[in-house]
Parts: sequence; C-alpha cells; structure tokens
Amino acid sequence: MSQDVRDLVKQYYPSFPIRHCGKIYRDTTEFMDISYGDVICVNGLHYMVLRDEVERRFGIEDPKFWVKRCKHLETGERKIIKLVFYEKFSLKLGEVKILCHRSPGKESRILDLVRGDMRFMQGVSYYDEKNNNVRVLDFIRGKSLDIVIHNIEEDHESYFRKYFPEILEKFIGACEAIGFMHSHGEKHGDIRRDHIWVESETHKYRWIDFDYSFDFYENPFALDLFGLGGILAFITGKGDCTVGYLLERGFTKEDLAGLTEDDFSIIFHHRLVNLRKIYPYIPEKLNNILLHFSRGTDVFYDTVDEILSDLRPCLDLLGS
Amino acid sequence: MDPKKILIAVDASENSLRAVEYTGDMLGGSEGFHIGLLTIERFPDRDLFETEEVWKTECKKHQAAYLDFMAKARKILCDKGISEKQIFSRYIESCKSPLKSPPLICSMGTNIAHEIMGIIESEGFGTVVIGRRGVSKEVEFLFGSVSTKIVHYSKGCAVWIVN
Repeated sequence: MSQDVRDLVKQYYPSFPIRHCGKIYRDTTEFMDISYGDVICVNGLHYMVLRDEVERRFGIEDPKFWVKRCKHLETGERKIIKLVFYEKFSLKLGEVKILCHRSPGKESRILDLVRGDMRFMQGVSYYDEKNNNVRVLDFIRGKSLDIVIHNIEEDHESYFRKYFPEILEKFIGACEAIGFMHSHGEKHGDIRRDHIWVESETHKYRWIDFDYSFDFYENPFALDLFGLGGILAFITGKGDCTVGYLLERGFTKEDLAGLTEDDFSIIFHHRLVNLRKIYPYIPEKLNNILLHFSRGTDVFYDTVDEILSDLRPCLDLLGS
Repeated sequence: MDPKKILIAVDASENSLRAVEYTGDMLGGSEGFHIGLLTIERFPDRDLFETEEVWKTECKKHQAAYLDFMAKARKILCDKGISEKQIFSRYIESCKSPLKSPPLICSMGTNIAHEIMGIIESEGFGTVVIGRRGVSKEVEFLFGSVSTKIVHYSKGCAVWIVN
C-alpha cells in the first residue's frame, strides 16, 4: 500500500476507505494491473480508479479493462479514463467480416476536433511517462438511446405518434454531427444505438466512443452510414423488428406472411426494415429511407447529407 | 471525348490484370488508339498501425506493388501488339502519403471512382476499362465498388467492365 495514495485520499477524498488505497501509476502500460483504489497520475493530475468499465450487451457484462471509471481527486469530478489497448479483431456483420482496430490516436484526434461541441463526448488526451496515450473523458449522466426507447411503455402506434417526432428530430441532429465528422475526414467507426448517450439533464443526444477504425476500400464512411440506418430502423420500429419480436408483440404468422427477403436488412437478414408493411401509419417517405438499407435495394446512400436531405422533410409528415 | 483514347484504371489486383489483358487482346495490332494506364495510390489508414514507422513500411510495400504492376501492365500491352508510344502512364499519389510531400494533384482516397471520372472528363478519354471484383450486394454496400460507381456516374464515355 502506498503512502502517497493515502496522502492524496486524506487530502481530497477522506471518505474513501484507507485499507483500499493502492498504488500510484505514472506508467499505464500494464492496464490490467490498475484497479480499484489505485491512482493514475498524468499531467500532474490524479485520478482514483473506482472500477473497470463494462459494456452490457444481451444481458451480459463484458469488462473493458483498459477503460477505468475514476474520480479526479483534485476536483472531485467523475471521469472515464481510456488507456492504450491496440486490439485487432474481426467483426462479423451478417455474412461480411471486417477487420477492426482500436486506435487511441484516432480517438484523441476526434476529441480535439469536437472540443466544445456537445453533440459529442468531451475529453482531453495526455501522455504518461512512457508516452502511452491516456484519454480523460467527461462523465455523461444519462442513458443510452436504446434504453431510453426501451423504457417508453407504449404500444408502437402511440409511441410513433407521441414520442417519435421528437426522437427523430434529435436523431437528425445526431446525423448532422456525424456529417460534421465526415466533412473533416473522420469516421465514428462504431455507430450503434448504445453509442448515442441521452444526457439526463438536457435530453441531448451525444455520441461516445470514437476509437474504432477499419479499412474500407471505396466507401470509407459506409459503415457509419449503415450504423445510422440501423439506428433509424430501431427508433422507427421501437426495437429490432425481428419476426420473433413481432410475434411477441401480438402479430400473427398470417400478419407477417407477406414479408419477403427483400424487406429485411441488407446485412442483418433477420431484422425487418420495410416497417410500413407492419406499421402502415409510417409515412412512405420515411419508409423509403429505410428501404435503402434493405436486401431489395440497388441504391445505396454515399453520404450523410444524402440521408439528411431525405430525412428532414419526414419531420413535417409526423405527429398526431 | 475521343473513344480511341482509352483509360485503363488499375490497382495491383488480379481484376486489373484481367482488364489490361482484355484491352490488349481487343486492341493489339490496331492503329489510332492511345491507352492511358491510371493508378490512384491508396495506402492503408494510419490509424491501423501502432507506429509511424510500421505504417511507412507498409505504404512503401503498397507503392512498390503499384509501380511493379504498372510496369507489368505496360509490358503485357506491348506483348499483345500495342506500341510503346501508344501507351502512357499516370500515377496519382495519395494526399495522405507519409513517404513524401504530396504534389498539387493528389488523391484524397475517399472516392476513387469520382477521381477516375474527373480524369476521364478533364483529359477527354472516350473509353474507360476497369476490372470488377464480382462481390455480393452486402460487400458492395459496405466496401463499395469502384466499377459500379463508374457505371452509375459516367457520362459521354463508354465503360468496359471486365469480369
């Protein structure tokens, strides 16, 4: 147990149990060793590690050992610290495999680009004494978009008429934010509905997690566009409209008998995107946007602007 | 647009090789044609590499492969009966190259098809030849297809797609 950490705790965090005080880390290379009670010191500032972050998907918690939830001792603010982890892995999207990389440098560059733009998470990058990149991110109080949608206890039509117009308006803002990134030659890299964080206080949509990178041949932004299409289908359908999901929500097999392969996602073949077939009050213009992400399409969006120019007029078609 | 001014857009792939061979077979021994061999340099993204040095090494390998391919393509065309003076080569460097400062005209690499179309229009090519990978709709959706985009965007020129 380090006396240094005890001293810092006494000064800045007296309620922290002394018996859990760990070590001060100025070199973050071995991030697996850094855990609860340790202090990361960068740029002369001290961050008490409270726990490793976890990603929750399908009810399973997946620990992210290179991401630490911390308390900034000097200010008492909650922070997320991301340490260097050069991970390469194959991402399977439907039948397509994509080689993905985790790039701390990319995330740092984007943090610089979006500084002060509250459509994105905010943070600064420092370097530890071994020149490892350490990203110190502001903590966003709120919930991910999928949880927000999930928590709306309404049937689809009521949801669509009462809540969806505002959700779509905010989603358009989120698309514009991605367009801003693209216009600066950057891609988000991991556009998912749980990477839009809905801030509790302001209800603003904010993008998080920019450290994924991948090499695409002719469409460098295509995966981002596909991600936006996936979120649009999710918010329009109030969930992933798989056949199983729809049967659970009262549709019969006869109701779904008219669906064809072409009505489902070009990549995730089990997700329905031609939603107007089951929810006929969805405006055709909005549904046509979704069809660009269907197996039946021969026309793909190349840019966020193309999506936006189709999406913005849909706002006027909504409402009770 | 001069239909006898033909642009073969190549990278260092098998598909490009087929496009070169096909053009040679079609035009070998003919007079009045001019063939431009175009390569647009495209390097892997810097973000995919841990250090600048590793990235540079990979870029050098890519560049060598492109230049070797262009020399090979020129030889194939000559062997098929097209004279040296009928062939000219264009190599467009990447604006993001770590190997040297890019020239004034360079490739941003975000839409190769548009860049090819720009050269066709500005230099008056009447025919463009390109090899196709033959990918599924899913792959085309995600990874893009230069040949499909050229078919969609081209105006006033013939497009030869070599499968």
